[in-house]
Amino acid sequence: MTLQAPGFWPPTGPEIVFLLLGVVALGSALLVVTTRQLVHAALWLVVCFGALAGGYLVLTAEFVAWVQVLIYVGAVVVLLLFGIMLTRAPIGRSADLDSGNRWAAALVALATAAVLVTVVVSGFRTAYAPLDPGQGAAKPLGSSIFRTWVLPFEALSVLLLAALVGAIVLSRTDIQGRK
Amino acid sequence: MNGTIQAPTIEYALLAPMLVVFGAAIVGVLVEAFAPRYLRSAIHVPLTLLSLAGAFALTIWQAAAKGIPTKAAAMGAVAVDGPALFIWGTILVLAFVSVLLIKGEDHFVAAASAVPGSAEEEQALHEGAAHSEIYPLVLFAVGGMLLFPAANDLLVAFVALEVMSLPLYLLCGLARRRRLLSQEAAVKYFLLGAFSSAFFLYGTALLYGYAGSIDLAKISTAVGSVGGQDTLLYIGAAMLGVGLLFKIGAAPFQAWKPDVYQGAPTPITALMASGTLVAAFGALVRVFWVGLGGLDWDWRPVLYGVAILTMVVGAVLAITQTDIKRMLAYSSIAHGGFLLVGVIATGKAAAQNASALSGILFYLVAYGFTTVGAFAVVTMVRDAGGEAWHLSRWAGLGKRSPLLAGIFAFFLLAFAGIPLTSGFFGKYAVFQAAVSGGALPLVIVGVVASAVAAFFYVRVIVLMFFSDPAADGPSIVLPSRGTAAVVGLAVLATVVLGVYPQPVLDLAHSAAQSLFVR
Amino acid sequence: MTTHYLVLSALLFAIGGVGVLVRRNAIVVFMCVELMLNACNLAFVTFARQNGNLDGQVIAFFVMIVAAAEVVIGLAIIVTIFRTRRSASVDDASLLKY
Repeated sequence: MTLQAPGFWPPTGPEIVFLLLGVVALGSALLVVTTRQLVHAALWLVVCFGALAGGYLVLTAEFVAWVQVLIYVGAVVVLLLFGIMLTRAPIGRSADLDSGNRWAAALVALATAAVLVTVVVSGFRTAYAPLDPGQGAAKPLGSSIFRTWVLPFEALSVLLLAALVGAIVLSRTDIQGRK
Repeated sequence: MNGTIQAPTIEYALLAPMLVVFGAAIVGVLVEAFAPRYLRSAIHVPLTLLSLAGAFALTIWQAAAKGIPTKAAAMGAVAVDGPALFIWGTILVLAFVSVLLIKGEDHFVAAASAVPGSAEEEQALHEGAAHSEIYPLVLFAVGGMLLFPAANDLLVAFVALEVMSLPLYLLCGLARRRRLLSQEAAVKYFLLGAFSSAFFLYGTALLYGYAGSIDLAKISTAVGSVGGQDTLLYIGAAMLGVGLLFKIGAAPFQAWKPDVYQGAPTPITALMASGTLVAAFGALVRVFWVGLGGLDWDWRPVLYGVAILTMVVGAVLAITQTDIKRMLAYSSIAHGGFLLVGVIATGKAAAQNASALSGILFYLVAYGFTTVGAFAVVTMVRDAGGEAWHLSRWAGLGKRSPLLAGIFAFFLLAFAGIPLTSGFFGKYAVFQAAVSGGALPLVIVGVVASAVAAFFYVRVIVLMFFSDPAADGPSIVLPSRGTAAVVGLAVLATVVLGVYPQPVLDLAHSAAQSLFVR
Repeated sequence: MTTHYLVLSALLFAIGGVGVLVRRNAIVVFMCVELMLNACNLAFVTFARQNGNLDGQVIAFFVMIVAAAEVVIGLAIIVTIFRTRRSASVDDASLLKY
């Protein structure tokens, strides 16, 4: 934090872009939590993830941004939609999406948000990081993954294999008896 | 950056036990893919058992012949130090025993995809179908358990947590009988587990923001040197703590434990109650002592409260249970509280920390064996519809089958911490460390909670021996060789650790002597 | 600049948290957990920027992979129990009493 933080006004180009993306992400996240239609929740999730990917781009984390688009928007949400389809959830409005304790939960959430926001604001009020491009490209990330982080990376491959086998266990129907 | 990647240094010999387990899991998957169906079980069981035994031998060899390393391995990702090796050995033995239990009877669903009560399920049962994929999944989970307590940075800890948990979420839902209960347990465990790992992760993020690194040693350095962002550190540590305390089932986060322990197939419950608890405690102690060691004045009062709450909740709610598996789950919660007493017993002197750590390690061994044995007994008391869980069904068991009831009573006495059982020395070691660490009030609460719990255990023993058996009472199945071996081993461990604990105490002490590497 | 990102991340985490507590459909609960994981990722990437090292971005990448594996397992479990119960509601998990 050696750099002198510039004033908040006037906002720079990236700041304006980020503020817009942030508003979109927050709004769509709120809709995910409040909408009465299951499918809409999944679709608002796409918007939220997309906005976050944009935020990563503004933060010059290009690789993470594209992985976000590929994995979250491309794979996770599609899987979730498949899940909604397979469980034959009602496409229209469903009345019983919320449990009874919504006010208590809202209170908890407000408290959490207040605490966390206070924490980050008090910790980083004057923090400023210059946004020079090229930091988060695939190349430096790749060499970091395959050197410093190689062991968790390998553990991750084991995790994916375990998830694959597990999903097959739960879903395959062609199990025959011992002959 | 010249296009070539510098090869990382990996100490394969140090990681060998873990690699053997993961390797065997992958071979197991290949067996699933290529071996004919009738051969699979015959290949899986020896493969799984041999790999666990081999990994155990490698762990011993590492500790005995090569000495305890003083530096983190695999680019600083994994710390194979004294406590880690001890915990590895414990987990591997407990996993070995649990696998014997898994192979013992048909605890697992014939075809997981078949709807309960449907024609397909009938057919699968009739044909004697079985999921042999359970063995590789168990090995994956055990591999995660090995990695978790040895993780030297928070990312490895997170990945290991998931490697350990994901297969367990699945295995929970595969019980052969009472399938709806089992599947509900899996959903509950999964959703709460994912929720808690989000907390773990946000805590990691805040600590990363605070320290600029997720390496435990670097976080520890930063705790002393970075100023002005204390709230960030506190909230980060708190959220990390929530994630870890959830995994051990400490008091405000214990709600999942009875449900999951009840619904899961009993051998998997045994694996979770022993292996997962050991692994999670290893990780908890490492994170709090190594990473946040400089902060102990701040986290100690919080854990103090959590430990009291956990012991009280576990002991008191156990009294109200009418289901044997739920009762054992609450007992496991209470034991988590006793172990937390050891976590708090740190001090300025290294000797104090070492004695607290060796107490925890001994307690984990003692409790792990006893709990596996208790669940093994649960698998043998059967009704027509499966295991007889309701306590009223256990009435008069002592008259029907004195040996089995006697063994179970012995395990319960060990849970209660009666002298001449392993539980006594476990509690003694932990409480003694806590007293010398200045946590006397906590120890008093612990002793009172033990007494409350003992009341309930004695009630079960009275129920088994001094009430008349029901006319249509449960039958005792003749145990398979595996189950019998598990019970025998657990009795042996409980007796030996209760009568002559010195060798294991010494071992735990020498493992704890060097404390954690940084 | 950094503060904005962190505030957004904190708010997303809280929104996801309230969703987990309020919603009854297992799939929506799961979406809310994903929201929380994304909030973590945003914090990691921001801190990576702030700290001037790449670790945070690598962690974010890892978290995404883990989340993908979690989705696979989670949906498999949820779909299985749905086939049993014909409903994916969390509160209906009634057999497990306290």
